[in-house]
Amino acid sequence: MEALGITLQQLLTQLVSFLILFFLLYKLAYGPIMGMLDSRALKIKESLEAAETARLDAASSAERVEAEIASARVEGQKIVAESREAASKLREQEQVRAREEVETMLERARTEISREKDSAVEEVRKEFASLAITAAERIVEGSLDAKSHSSLIDRVLEEGLSERKN
Amino acid sequence: MGKLLSSPKLLVIAIAAVAALLVSVAGGALGASFGLGFLGGPIPFISIPAERVAFIGGYPLLNSTIMFWSGGLILLFIAWRAGRNMKDVPSGWQNLMEMIYEFFSNTVDGVAGGTPKAGRRFLALVSTIFLVVMIINWVGILPGVGSIGRIESIEEWVHHHAEGIEAEIHEEHSGYNDTQVHQLALIHLLEEHADDTFVAFDGVFVPLGQGEQARVPLRHIVTATEDELHHLADQVKNGEDVSHDPVFEQIEHDIHEGVVKEVFTYDAGGDSEKDYNFTGQTAGLLVPYLRGASTDINTTLAIAIVAMLTVQFWGFRALGVRGYGGKFLVNPITQGPIATFVGVLEAFGELTRTISFTFRLFGNMFAGEILLIAMAFLLPLVGIIPFMGLELFVGVIQAYIFAMLTLVFGVMAVASHGDHDSHAEDH
Repeated sequence: MEALGITLQQLLTQLVSFLILFFLLYKLAYGPIMGMLDSRALKIKESLEAAETARLDAASSAERVEAEIASARVEGQKIVAESREAASKLREQEQVRAREEVETMLERARTEISREKDSAVEEVRKEFASLAITAAERIVEGSLDAKSHSSLIDRVLEEGLSERKN
Repeated sequence: MGKLLSSPKLLVIAIAAVAALLVSVAGGALGASFGLGFLGGPIPFISIPAERVAFIGGYPLLNSTIMFWSGGLILLFIAWRAGRNMKDVPSGWQNLMEMIYEFFSNTVDGVAGGTPKAGRRFLALVSTIFLVVMIINWVGILPGVGSIGRIESIEEWVHHHAEGIEAEIHEEHSGYNDTQVHQLALIHLLEEHADDTFVAFDGVFVPLGQGEQARVPLRHIVTATEDELHHLADQVKNGEDVSHDPVFEQIEHDIHEGVVKEVFTYDAGGDSEKDYNFTGQTAGLLVPYLRGASTDINTTLAIAIVAMLTVQFWGFRALGVRGYGGKFLVNPITQGPIATFVGVLEAFGELTRTISFTFRLFGNMFAGEILLIAMAFLLPLVGIIPFMGLELFVGVIQAYIFAMLTLVFGVMAVASHGDHDSHAEDH
């Protein structure tokens, strides 16, 4: 014992030192670290669970959104088709009406034109008659008797009118 | 080699390394045989017991205790830094401590049965043993530990050693009075230790460049001859008081002065016979101020005792007094004499485990210390570098072995009778 240097005093010193060190290490490090590790493990477990539920939520809502989009698309297609049909129907109606209108307008114009033409011819004949009379008066005044000249003029005028009428 | 020559930086480093090695070989113990040895000092006196550095109010403070406390303070500082402000996202010391702690947490759980928290009762002690043993191993090999110290004078040395001899004489010859015992002890000491060598100190430093030859035998410091000592011893035994005898007075004077008195011949009759003259220089022994705590057997024994007592405590708590005590005390009538014998062996096993704990750690670390001293003596400057690395490694490994064996013994102690048959012992 003496040769190895084992003494009760030194042995007790080291024993007590070690126990004090053990106690202080426990207080300073192990306690806090143990608590920290446990609380961290708990926290990690909780956040993993939260992440899992969030993932499930996200998946289900994505599904819902997809279904909604699909139904909207179908609806849109339906609306487009309907409006296209309505448009084509409208166009047809419009065309028919326009044609009819044009037709009536044409008809009216034609009758108007023929009436105008008739009145114009009448007016011209009257004008010609007066003109011829005036002319005949002038001639008669100058040379011939009035009777032969007017018959001549009438003849000429009737010939001219019949030609026009044809 | 081509790569070495093409890079000037590498070349310079290589030349410096070779030069350092050559200087070290020439300056060390090898060069001393050829008259060089300009860096070598006398190999220190290697003492198995830790040395006393100071008395504090009657308490002898040993150099190993100082290192134990320093290592402990470093550890406590790290623990305090790690634990004072715990954060969820660890960093720095907290990270380090958590890493070590978590490693041991997983290990103890694994050894103790594999389920989480199965080994939590072992955790605190196992990780404390690891941390404490590792830190005292590591601070113990710091440069300066074991090599810086004060000179123990011849007077102190004589006083220290005479005490033991006085006690012996008291026992053998109870008839002598105190003066007789004191004088006889002194004479016996000088007779027995005449060839013990002391370093002739060159001022306050170990003399460099004089190697082993700087160690002077005691007979050249206290110059009384053997015949004179014999004569004195006879006088004392006859009941004479020799304290005023001129020879005895001269002896006391020499011891008090503690200097080398005469030229002496080193290795007389041997190959390297040479005269050395250290006359007038102080002789003594180097007492290191610091010494690795694990190179003191008290420390390792203390930790081993704590470990083995705690193992018994775990055993008793887990199995009860009857259950755990039943491993050691077996009734020879109901269970047969062989089982009783095995129980006794088990009890001795617990004792030998304590001793093997003690000497495994002490032996490894003390041997490492001596290895470092020897390398510093053989190859000064460079020889110590690889061995420092080796000692760091050994320090961790020994700490790990100590902690793991404590754990294994603990697990074996708490296992009930049926499922314990493994003997993981002695590594």
